[in-house]
Amino acid sequence: MEIEQRIEGLLTVPPYSLAPQQHQDAVLALLKSELEYACERNPRFRNYVNHWPMDFRAAERISDLPFLPVGVFKLNPPLALVDATEIKRTLASSATTGQVPSRVVLDAATARRMTKGVVAIIRDLIGPARRPYLVIDTTENMTARTELGARAAAIQALGSFATEVTCCLRSDGRGESSLDLQKLLDCAAKWKEAELMVYGFTHVIWTQLVQPLQGKGTTLGIPNVHVLHSGGWKRLEQQAVTKDVFVRGVTSVFGCSPHRVIDYYGMVENVGVVYPDCEQGNKHVPAFAEVIVRDPLTLKPVESGQRGLVQVCSVLPTSFPGFLLLTEDLAEVIGEDGCACGRRGTHFRFAGRAPKAEVRGCGNVETTRRGDSRWGAEA
Amino acid sequence: MSDLIHAVDSPQEIACAARRLRETGQRELIPPQAVLEVFEQWSAALQAREFEIPGLAFLRLWLRRGNLEPILLRELGPNALSGGWLEDGRAKLRAFPLGVVGHWPAGNIEIQPILSMTCALLGGNGCLVRVPSGLVEITRRVMDKLQEVDRSGSLTERIFMASFDHSRMDLHEAMAQAVDGAMIWGGAEAVSQVRGLAFPHWARVVVFGPRLSAAAMDAESWGDRAERSSWCRRIARDVWQFDQQACSSPQTLFLERGAGCDPDEFVEDLKQAFQEENRHHPRLQIEPALTSAICLARATWLLDSVENGALFPASPDWTVLSGEGEEMPNPTQGRTLSVLVVDDLLKVISRFDGTLQTLGLGVKDAHREEMLAQAAGRSGVDRIVKLGRMHVFSSPWDGTELIRPMVRLVRHVQSQD
Repeated sequence: MEIEQRIEGLLTVPPYSLAPQQHQDAVLALLKSELEYACERNPRFRNYVNHWPMDFRAAERISDLPFLPVGVFKLNPPLALVDATEIKRTLASSATTGQVPSRVVLDAATARRMTKGVVAIIRDLIGPARRPYLVIDTTENMTARTELGARAAAIQALGSFATEVTCCLRSDGRGESSLDLQKLLDCAAKWKEAELMVYGFTHVIWTQLVQPLQGKGTTLGIPNVHVLHSGGWKRLEQQAVTKDVFVRGVTSVFGCSPHRVIDYYGMVENVGVVYPDCEQGNKHVPAFAEVIVRDPLTLKPVESGQRGLVQVCSVLPTSFPGFLLLTEDLAEVIGEDGCACGRRGTHFRFAGRAPKAEVRGCGNVETTRRGDSRWGAEA
Repeated sequence: MSDLIHAVDSPQEIACAARRLRETGQRELIPPQAVLEVFEQWSAALQAREFEIPGLAFLRLWLRRGNLEPILLRELGPNALSGGWLEDGRAKLRAFPLGVVGHWPAGNIEIQPILSMTCALLGGNGCLVRVPSGLVEITRRVMDKLQEVDRSGSLTERIFMASFDHSRMDLHEAMAQAVDGAMIWGGAEAVSQVRGLAFPHWARVVVFGPRLSAAAMDAESWGDRAERSSWCRRIARDVWQFDQQACSSPQTLFLERGAGCDPDEFVEDLKQAFQEENRHHPRLQIEPALTSAICLARATWLLDSVENGALFPASPDWTVLSGEGEEMPNPTQGRTLSVLVVDDLLKVISRFDGTLQTLGLGVKDAHREEMLAQAAGRSGVDRIVKLGRMHVFSSPWDGTELIRPMVRLVRHVQSQD
């Protein structure tokens, strides 16, 4: 199909090579075609798009296209643009206790593009070579299943770079895991001089690798490692672990330099697109995606230097309407082009999750329903 | 900070303040008439143009003698204004203040600390008011005007406003222990926690907890092309006040189906009214999470059924969600109104539960309205008012009188008889 070829076209160009206008034109045109396609496939999505304040066909900017709030993927059954028989896999977000996870459905084509997207981005960052892959997680979390959690999806997405894969946590069978120290030390000895790739959720790396090793005074001595981590900072912030503290901890354990510790942002709903930090500490948008930061008061895109709600855009999914998604995260736009790292296009920095709306006042009957334990009706 | 609003940091400060308030009250009773005189001047002083405080128009009206006298007479009896005794058969009755009344207002209604306090002042009480941190500046500006007009200090010496962080349980406890009565307003968590404080066994506690409100119109009203714009303006006004976060804010409007009446035409008129109201009262700030919630409400409604409709601008300024259904959707607030067409208003109203506080009505036929009001009252609704007047603060509120709960009615049977 024509859309497929155009997506492939954007997947094959170097991900950060397009000039802003060229990028905007290509992505806008493709997103319009995908919206048209999605409207044909899903009447409820068409109903949403038809009620958008402007006709997307007349849009001149990506920011004018109809976006979905990411929360709609908590609906059951998940929003789909394909028949149930075409669904190969369902990805679920890592919701904390009591929360409903987001779920997105992947057909074979979308799953394939998801891998290609992540590979293109990570290749730009660490180079194309395949290398040993150390996973800071359990083998159980890597098992292929029809419904895949965010952790497993992230682990598997990097599998294309692996010559061999080792998981260094062991499960106790009751949902808890711990570091398999001997296994880790064996790997470290074996891969001492190798270009090693490590991945884990941020809080897992900290609590199950860095803290135990620091406690024992153990260093692994693998200077050529790239440590990739994602999953957010919320849990570590609760323990007062800042990004600096985290990076210092990881570098001390692996014996590597700080620029080899790479934090990236990703979400299951934005399949195939991850946002690693560049050397300047900025996040860049690849050719097959876009990021718009919107002013919460007007929902208009903000200027460079301003903060707002993040909208992620991707041309990759065709099995669910995940093209244009308003997240609940905040970011600051650093610039439209010209980052010193050499990557072209929009670059930005995340500023955390938008705080939950204050539970306030006499009209707030939701408190009783949600069981929110916050004290006080007022700020 | 106004002399009346104190940044409090210790339980002793609260205990001392309560003691002073009690001594003032015991030294001299203040009759409602005297309170009304000061309130009348206060209302006039608040006319100044510099005041851009949500709800201030209501406060000005509330403080007027013409508004409060009937409430006093109804709640406390014919001789209440002068503070005299009322004949009650062979006995006499007279209202005396409880003493010191503590006020825990909600944080989302700017004028609520003042409104709550005035109720207890009319009963002659001293007032210990906790001012939510977000309302200190607004409250200070209003209280400065009271200080200007109350030159003798007859009222201000009966007021102590305390500002402290909501997490300071020791200060909440100190307030509770120091009062003879309490007026508690707000969300479920807040009112439950305040009500759970260790009040003296004699203290009277009145709770105005979290509620929702709705609006309803019969076909003769919403289908009337000549009247429709006016109704829509009234609805917009009710939605805009307090950013739709108040217990009296309509979250859903039920339209009774009628032959030849097109709901789409009505919703289009409502859109015009919302646009107009937004021009006059644009939002100046918003929490990002509320923006997310508004976007999610729009999307989930339209994705839920192809029969559902919606009108909204590109901004989060306002939203009208339209469709059919007898159940009230979960409220989004933030100027998001669900407009649902129903076959029979009576059936819908009869299914309300005690969650609903105010029902705003637009009904042509008075007899029909009586039936609807009867059903609403039976279903737990406490206020049934005309659309456009849903926030007009009056007594009773939440089914409770506002002044009488904070006074003692003393009965005197003369020994000569």
